Amino acid sequence: MRRGDETEPGLRPRQLFTEVPVLWQLLPQAVLDGLLIGGVYITVALGFSLAFGVMHIIDFAVGEWIMLGAFLGYYLQRWTGLDPLALLPVVFAVFTAVGYVIQPVIHRAVSGRRGNPVLMGLVFTFGLMLAIRGAGLTVFGFFSHSIPSALSARSLFLEAGGLFVTVPAIRLFGFVYAIGITAVLHWVLRRTDFGLAVRALAQNRDAAGLMGINARRIGSWVYGIHVGVSAMTGVVIGSIFSISAQMGGDYTILAFFVVVLAGMGYLAGVPWAAFLLGLVQSLFLVYGNPSYTLLAVFAILYLILLVSPKGLFAKGV
Amino acid sequence: MRRLVAFALCAVLGVSPAWAQAGRDHFKVGVITSLSGDLATGGNVTKRGYDLWAKAVNEAGGIEVNGKRYPVKLYYADAQSEPSQGASGAERLATQEEVDFVLGPYSSGVTLAVAPVLEKYKIPMITGSAESPLIWRQRFAYTFGTIPPVNYTGSQPVGALAGLTPKPKTAIVLGSNDAFSKATAEAFKAAAEAHGIRVLKFNIVPSGQDLIPLLSAAKVLRPDVIAFGGHDEELINLVKALRQINYTPKALLMHYGVTEPAFVEALGKDAEEVFGASVWTPTLPTRGNLLWADARAYAEAAQKEYGVPADYTQAGCSAAGIAFQAAVARAGVTPPLDEGERRALRDALEALDIETFYGRIDFADQGEFYHANTGLEALTVQIQGGRPVIAAPAEFAETQPRYPMTPWNQRR
Repeated sequence: MRRGDETEPGLRPRQLFTEVPVLWQLLPQAVLDGLLIGGVYITVALGFSLAFGVMHIIDFAVGEWIMLGAFLGYYLQRWTGLDPLALLPVVFAVFTAVGYVIQPVIHRAVSGRRGNPVLMGLVFTFGLMLAIRGAGLTVFGFFSHSIPSALSARSLFLEAGGLFVTVPAIRLFGFVYAIGITAVLHWVLRRTDFGLAVRALAQNRDAAGLMGINARRIGSWVYGIHVGVSAMTGVVIGSIFSISAQMGGDYTILAFFVVVLAGMGYLAGVPWAAFLLGLVQSLFLVYGNPSYTLLAVFAILYLILLVSPKGLFAKGV
Repeated sequence: MRRLVAFALCAVLGVSPAWAQAGRDHFKVGVITSLSGDLATGGNVTKRGYDLWAKAVNEAGGIEVNGKRYPVKLYYADAQSEPSQGASGAERLATQEEVDFVLGPYSSGVTLAVAPVLEKYKIPMITGSAESPLIWRQRFAYTFGTIPPVNYTGSQPVGALAGLTPKPKTAIVLGSNDAFSKATAEAFKAAAEAHGIRVLKFNIVPSGQDLIPLLSAAKVLRPDVIAFGGHDEELINLVKALRQINYTPKALLMHYGVTEPAFVEALGKDAEEVFGASVWTPTLPTRGNLLWADARAYAEAAQKEYGVPADYTQAGCSAAGIAFQAAVARAGVTPPLDEGERRALRDALEALDIETFYGRIDFADQGEFYHANTGLEALTVQIQGGRPVIAAPAEFAETQPRYPMTPWNQRR
């Protein structure tokens, strides 16, 4: 196996790989790309799933938190000159505080005597989305930007037995970040008193209250974590792709797809749903007709929900 | 009292009473463009071009018709990057605002939805930023465009690349799935085949698609040229993806977006040596008779107004205003325009042949480019030193094309 930074533009001449048919040569790369795309999807959907699982809020503003986080990362990078990935904790702290402060307002909209709290939450966050997006366009302008990271310019070339893959370093970081955030959230929910309180709240809000759990404070923390994680994801996304004030809508839809496929509110299903969507896209782009990639994604989503309406593992709401 | 009630009713319904229209001392100009949504970048660039024209023409006292000057007032409709919203906006401008003529949408898709509505109301429209050949094949009687279609401009840069040494032998052509981008990709493909460049892969992909799997597969084929039809964000994402997989083709060709200031700002040194297609740059030798004397004068005015360099879309939109200005004067029509006067304005546009800061404006009156501006030369531009410079054709070239591209990891 040869391993190391790729120094040449492109691959070595193809004749070296003639022992493996071209279609097979593409497979490892297509699978890897699918997993790396899935990694981005995980981070987009994780906070969204958490917010729904605990507070039963379908947060249509998730894409806007991603956008705001991306722009904070963009400006912080310009002001400090630091790599945007080193600024992730700052972005997390700022937006966790923002989410913590905003959650009581959302709570007020979905509680009390109002009927159908899920719908109220959806409408409220939809309005929040429109307000943030409009403000973003006014404040940040309409041009696209990019957050330059040292990792964006690096890649790893792996080769063995006539098969090879190029691993873009920034996407590998995105993948590791996704797995890391998933693991940390899992650990917090399963191993800490705070996590126990969150799970209790998700299962039965009234009973949790009777056991001495402060539902409002826990709810604020959960929404704060969701907003903080989403904002950090914005910085990672801005290092991989471009950013603009209008970028949020696409990520909101994406988060919704992943969470529906995982099962609404079932956090453990998110990575698998994200990987599935990433792999379907990647394999279809390489082996199918790229024009119909979205059709393929929707067809698979439809079939899975037809068979299992509560998501991949039938554990959603 | 009856008149007061009628006025109140009109105010509630958002329409102007007939007597308020009579003897109007200014032109009502509709502007339909995407101020929000996925196409907000291009839409707002378009708006800047129209606004700059309106400001300049009003500073000069307005449009001169038979010795009298009539200011212009712009009425906006946000298409929200959706063709259906553009069509609704056109309906509102036609029936409620009762505009005299319209400055058209950003993006071909929205233009294709707006044109039939204005055709119904017989309101002339000039779009300063729609380039799909599909628009002109529909032969709309009241729709014109200052930017030539991509099948008119797209072949120039491919021909320029084919003339470079060593000649590129293979290409991969990708396009995003919208009217403009698809037409761009098809124009690139046709031109490549015509110039003896073998197209190894031609794919139309969903708008906004993460292209990394497709580019990784393309990398195995080692194409000399990667040509892509897309909009601003997609172009930035494509360059970033190629940078991430560390594949530098001999030439990277795009169309609109390369000349946008955001392209260079977002990509820095990775934007260098990317080729694009254009019909105008601030350094193009032109001679204008209305508002701005040449391209440089326009570029300076735009820079002063907005603080960023103008690109060919913004300039094309200001030129659309100038075309109306010249046609109104020639038709001798004064506001408000009735149906007969709008028809006379349409005829004047069709007969128009003027020199502007943007270059020549001459709308075709027949053939596949019907009502598109065929007075301009297609240019090949390349990003050099952080700005787009003309690399071909030879009579306009400011520099030699840099080719093959410097590998990503050898750039300083």
